[in-house]
Order: sequence, then structure tokens, then C-alpha cells
Amino acid sequence: MTPGVSADVAALADRVRSAHANGAPLRVTGAGTWLDGGQPCVAADHLELAALTGIVAYEPGDLTLTVLAATPLSAIQALTASEGQWLTMDPHGSPDGTIGATVSTASSGPLASAYGTPRDHVLGCEFVTGTGDVVRGGGRVVKNVAGFDLVRLVTGAWGTLGAITEITVRLRAKPEQDVSLAVATLSGAVADVTNGVREWSHRSAFRPLAMELLSPSLARRLTGHSEELLLVRIGGNSTHARAAVDAVSSLGTARDIGHGVWSQLAQAEPKGALVFRVSALPSRIGSLFSTASALAEELGGYAHATVTRGIVRCVVPPPSEPQAVDYLCGQLSALSRDVTVAGERMSAPLWAAVRRMRSTDALSLRVRSTFDPGRILNPGILGDA
Amino acid sequence: MVELAARLAGIVGERRVMLRAGELRTYESDGLPGYRSTPSLAVFPGTRDETIAVVKALAASHTSFVARGAGTGLSGGALADNVVLLGLHRLKRIVAIDGDNARAVVEPGVVNALLTAAASAYGLHYAPDPSSQSACTIGGNVAENAGGPHCLKYGVTLNHVIALTVLLPDGEVVTLGNPDGESEGYDLLGAFVGSEGCFGVVLDATIRLERNPQAVRTLLADFASVDGAAHAVSDIIAAGIVAAAMEMMDNAAIQVVEASIYAAGYPVDAAAILLIELDGAAAGLDDDVARVAQFCKAAGARAVRVAADPADRARLWQGRKKAFGAMGRVSPHLVVQDAVVPRTRLPQVLADIHHIGVRHGVNVCNVFHAGDGNLHPNIGYDANDADEAARVHAAMGEIMQVCIDAGGTITGEHGVGLDKLPYMDSLFTPDTLGAMCALRSVFDPERRANPGKVVPVHRCREWLAAPAARAGHPR
Repeated sequence: MTPGVSADVAALADRVRSAHANGAPLRVTGAGTWLDGGQPCVAADHLELAALTGIVAYEPGDLTLTVLAATPLSAIQALTASEGQWLTMDPHGSPDGTIGATVSTASSGPLASAYGTPRDHVLGCEFVTGTGDVVRGGGRVVKNVAGFDLVRLVTGAWGTLGAITEITVRLRAKPEQDVSLAVATLSGAVADVTNGVREWSHRSAFRPLAMELLSPSLARRLTGHSEELLLVRIGGNSTHARAAVDAVSSLGTARDIGHGVWSQLAQAEPKGALVFRVSALPSRIGSLFSTASALAEELGGYAHATVTRGIVRCVVPPPSEPQAVDYLCGQLSALSRDVTVAGERMSAPLWAAVRRMRSTDALSLRVRSTFDPGRILNPGILGDA
Repeated sequence: MVELAARLAGIVGERRVMLRAGELRTYESDGLPGYRSTPSLAVFPGTRDETIAVVKALAASHTSFVARGAGTGLSGGALADNVVLLGLHRLKRIVAIDGDNARAVVEPGVVNALLTAAASAYGLHYAPDPSSQSACTIGGNVAENAGGPHCLKYGVTLNHVIALTVLLPDGEVVTLGNPDGESEGYDLLGAFVGSEGCFGVVLDATIRLERNPQAVRTLLADFASVDGAAHAVSDIIAAGIVAAAMEMMDNAAIQVVEASIYAAGYPVDAAAILLIELDGAAAGLDDDVARVAQFCKAAGARAVRVAADPADRARLWQGRKKAFGAMGRVSPHLVVQDAVVPRTRLPQVLADIHHIGVRHGVNVCNVFHAGDGNLHPNIGYDANDADEAARVHAAMGEIMQVCIDAGGTITGEHGVGLDKLPYMDSLFTPDTLGAMCALRSVFDPERRANPGKVVPVHRCREWLAAPAARAGHPR
């Protein structure tokens, strides 16, 4: 047995080695909450990682945490909260989703405005490649340039370069004050409102932890308000927080709404809903949100914009009629002509439509065939790669 | 080589190709003068198209090369040992600054500090600030994933690169990252940044700029013990105060700086000082300053003072940023390490480093990024004194082992280059080193870009398993 590799991981590596020898594809599975993402992944067998739960090392003074990959985010939050710390990853979905899935899909939420995506949080990880090698990239320190960056490579690779078995992340101390505001009475055209929020964020001396602009039906669902609504989260000491709340109030009527709204937002989407994101240069967020939220609302769904990052996330009910599917595919293709369209949870025809927008580059194909030459890990989940 | 030189001169002009030994000596070392090797030829393209043509010509003749910016690196990474040196310092155009989106597009030879100077008209700056920032280039920063004091709050180079146009060693031009939205697919941009010139050459970089903070406060805290200073750092971070920078200098480093033209008014009898910077919105900033001062005093600080004005602040920073320069005055050669340890291990590791220095009779100075646990123990010495050089080498080896044993890593921002190559296999397994070698081959199948650096090929599993692969391999 390889030194430093646990019996569980050694068994997984054996499993992958024999699957590689037999050319038998595997679907990498943690808690299983992402399996309805709908990607056209073709594999008869599962590589179950669900047993890999638990804390490997937590040293609060270092603000770092090492956990096994299938540890639920909720367990991590409960543990770190007892030390006044938090993992600033807040992907959409159930809090019982695993850190392994969050990192594998590089999924992020509103806090990415201030803290970045999983790619900015992961300091090290262990993974099993498509040939059954157990690789440990990065480390347990907050700054590290030793060797080539395998951690960045597998983060967001959807398990196609290796099944992640252990992860070390950077934690943050919780701010002394943490205030969540809902800002209403934003008036005017959607694009103007959105641009106004963005301009405020440029002018302001304050850097909120999160700023999400909700389309009317999402605002209604979360708060009962029936127009665009801005959610703002502010952290800092009490003098700072008070001044920041005053500054935000220049945008409209601000009220303290409590942190519950963020978990409501994370879990707002109805079961089976289709989710996709559109993004562009941040200065285009006004027209982007105007177009994308109109489309989502027209289809009976909703949208929300991460204003400072230039990203709009759209949630729509699954179209039942074939014409409706064609219509949505057409709309996404039209959008993709000058913005980036990314799927999150979609149906097979929509995945196919999104895949057609962007062919996989040769370097990425070479990376795939280097780490998984038999293409046995989650085949199809990233299209050609 | 003469034939290749003629071909390259046809692309860049004769004046931009060097072949004579006397000329090439300029490039025989980087910022770490303990390593020396001479390139076989040096070529200096002046435009993007010339760079592409040069690299294609090198590819056609299967010639190895090393890309070099300002040559300020501290790991021996930009040394060309009898291979072609590709100097990129002439590619120094700031192509565009987009104030509205807080970003810039720059060529690789743009000097770090000049980007901030150009961005200041937009109320923006480039946050990563290595001590060499008045000379080092963005291309080199990208290659090394360079850091600096303010990376504590703002992140390292990688967190500031949105997209790159990269020239692969075979001459193909690719775009990594997405300048116009979310990046999809594998994070090849993340893999490229910090690849130390082994994956290709940056033709241009789309850089994220930071908005200038409304207010800045710089504190100097004077400690009677290194241990107290280390504990103050941990306490401040644990309290949730996000400092822009937290730098420590020990007495040996203070003495060297205060005896130089960079004297900053540091207390020469302090066991250690902390230089702490807080920035952001003015509202509440002085509350944080007061709390930081309290934490320092509670941890044993004899005095804490806040810089009175921008000139005072600049002076306090100059002493820190020019510390390595000041050491050049004391001794002809300098070794600088770059290990990172978990913050809670700082007091013990610093004590161990002190004892190692005493045991080997060498003078270890510590000047480093305490907030990140990123140590820079450095030792001035005379490389021509064989006995002293051997003691320095032995001490550095032990220091690295102490840092690795503490759960740390061998480099936080300087890169592996040549200098840290011997430590790679104490940090990574053969399978992991093999994965790194394999990733390099994706970008550079012939492994012609910066050969012999970063990954000790002979420690990879594929190397151990396949003796045939060794035939003809450049060591």
C-alpha cells in the first residue's frame, strides 16, 4: 500500500485501476444530490465516495481545514461556526451537498462577490486519476507555488480528471457584524436599475460580502415584494457596518432581512427546474440582466444577477412541449452569440444545445487523455472532453 | 548555433541576437547569484509577431529555450544552461486599461510598478507587489505566480489574471481563461499561472486591477520577543480583522536595514517588528487600528505607532521592501528561502531556525509575510569561501526540513526553479510528481521550455519505471 493513502482511498484506486483495465466507465458519486444535473454522462457503474466523510485536520489558528470529500457543507459550517469561522463557499442547492461536489463543479454562490469561487478556496487535494494513481496536489498552507498546480486543474473538472477524495480549504474568521439587507423601491427600467447598482459599487468605499439583484418573481417568492429587489450582505466592525448600511440606503429603502434569505435563495429552485447562467464583461450587466431576466420570467421562471461579477443565473420550469424546448434552445443560442452561456442543471436537448456553442479545445482534450486515457471517469459530462 | 542565430537575426535583426560569450554573461544569473549558467544564444524579439516567429523557428529545430523577463527571480528559474534565452523585456506595451471594468491588457515585459502607475489615473492599482516590483515584469510574475506583502488581503498573481494569450512551445497561440464572462471547462489558466516558463510564453495578459482604498493606516509595532510578534499576528487574524499586509522583521534584519541607506527608523533594539497595514472604507478603520494595537500590546509589544502621513508610511515600507537590497551591502552573496508554514507553527519554526543558524555559525535574517506564514529566512555569505558556503548550504537544508516537518511547503511565491528542486520529492509522492510531468507534456510534449526546472524528472514514477525514457534526457 502507498504510504499516506488510506485503506478507503486505496480500495477506490484499485476499483478505478480495474475499471481502466476493463474499459468500464464509472460515474463518480458523493451524496448524489447533483445527479439530476442532467448531464449526458454514460456509465453503468458508480464510483461511490459517500463513505469518505469526516474531518481530517482542523487547526482554527491556521484558518485551514482538511476534510474527506463527501463531507456535507452543513457539517463543515457547524464545526467552523463553533470557532467563529466559516467556509465562504455557498453554492446553490441543499446545504447537505458535499464539499467534493462543490469543488468538482466549482460551484459558487453570492459570497463569491467578495471571496471568490472554490478555485480561490482550495489549498490542496487528493484525487484518484483515471488510471488509479493517487495524487496529492497543493498542501495545507495558504500560499504555495511548489510544482505545477494540479489543484486548480481538478477543481471544476467535474470528476473527469480524477475523483477527489480529500480537500484542504482556506477558512475565514466571521466578521464582527454581518448584516443582510433587502433594498426596495428601485425604480426605472431593469437595465438602468442594474447599472445603478453597479455604479454604486464602483463609487462606494464599501465592499459588500454579496450583492444579488432579484427579478420580480424571485423577489415575490422570497420576500413578498413584487419588483426587482437587491439583497446586500455587509460585514465588518460595528462602525463600518453602520456606515455601510447608510451608504446602501442611498440605493432605495433598505431593511434588515436576516441571513435566512440567503439559504432561501440557495434552495429556491423547484425540483426539476432548468438552471443556466449567462455572463459577460461586468460593464454589460445592465443589458444582460434585462434580457436574461425577461426571458426567464416569460418562461415562468426567475433570474438573479451577481452584479459585480457580471453573471446572471436563470431558473425556469422544464418545458413540456417540444416547441418550448426548441424555443429555449434557440434563445440560448442567440444569447451565446455575444455572451457566455453555462449550463447548471438542464435537460439532454439543452445540454446538447449548449455544447454546440463551444467546442472543446485541443489542450483540454490532451489534459483529459493524460489523466484519464480510457475516458472512464464521468464520460460525456463535459461534452467532448 | 551560428546557423540558428542567423535565422533568428532574420526575424528580429542582428542587434537583437547575442552569441558572444562576453555579451551573454549579462544573463548568467538571476536574482539569486549563487547559481550561474550561460545561455548558448540570447534573442530579444520586439513584437508579438517576432516572438511567435522566433518560437516557431526554435520549434522547427527542436531547440530548448528559457523565457526571461527582468531576471529578478529568486529561484534560478530564468537561467539558461547552454540553451537559448528568450528575452521578453522589449514587449512592454500596456495595450489597454479599462477603468470601468477595472482591468488591463498588458504585454509580458511591462514592469509591475509601471502598471500601477498607469492605472492610478483610473483610481486603480495592481495589487501583487513583490519587493522587486520596480523592476520585475508581469510575464515573470505570471510565470512564478508572484506574491508580495499585500497578497495577504488581495490574493496572489493567480487571483488577478483573468485571461492569457499564450504561445505554446510548438508555436501555437491559444487563449486561456475567458475575458468576457465565466470561464468554462478545465482551468488551464490556473494551471498555467505559476508554471515557471515550462508551459509556454505569455504574449499578453488580461489583468484584474483593484480599486484604490478610501483610507490606509500603517502601523509599526516593536516587540521584545519574536514569539510575541508571532502571537500578535495569529490573534489579529483570529479576531476577523483582515489586514492588507502583516510583515515581520527580526533583529538581524532590522540591524541590516537600519545600517543602510534604506533606514526606516525601525527600533534597532527590538527583537522583532511588525509592519501592519489596514485599508478600506474610512468608516470603522480606526476602530480596527485600535484593536490591532491592543492585540500587539497584549502580546508584549513595547510600542505601537501609526504612520503620521504618506511620507512616513512610504519610509516604513521602504525599509521592508529594500531589505534584500540592504543585505547586498553586507555580503557579496545571499540565499533567500521562501517556505510557508501554518501560522500557528511560526513561533516554534522561528526558534528552530535561530538554533540552526547558531549551530552552523551563520547569520540568519528573517524578513517575511507573517500573515501568510510565508518565511524568507536569508543568509548573507561569501560564495568564494568554501567552508562558509558549505555551512550556509547545510543550514538552509535543515531550515527547509523544519518547515516541511511543520506541515509547510518549500515555496510560497518565488517558485521552485533550480533552487528548490532537491526538496520536491520530500513534499510530493512519485505519483504526484508524475502527474506534474504529465501535465507539462500536455503543454510542451518535447519539454523544451525551461528544461530541467521545477519537477525533478528523475523522481517521477514514470522515470523510475522506464529506464528507456532516460536515454538522451537532458539532466
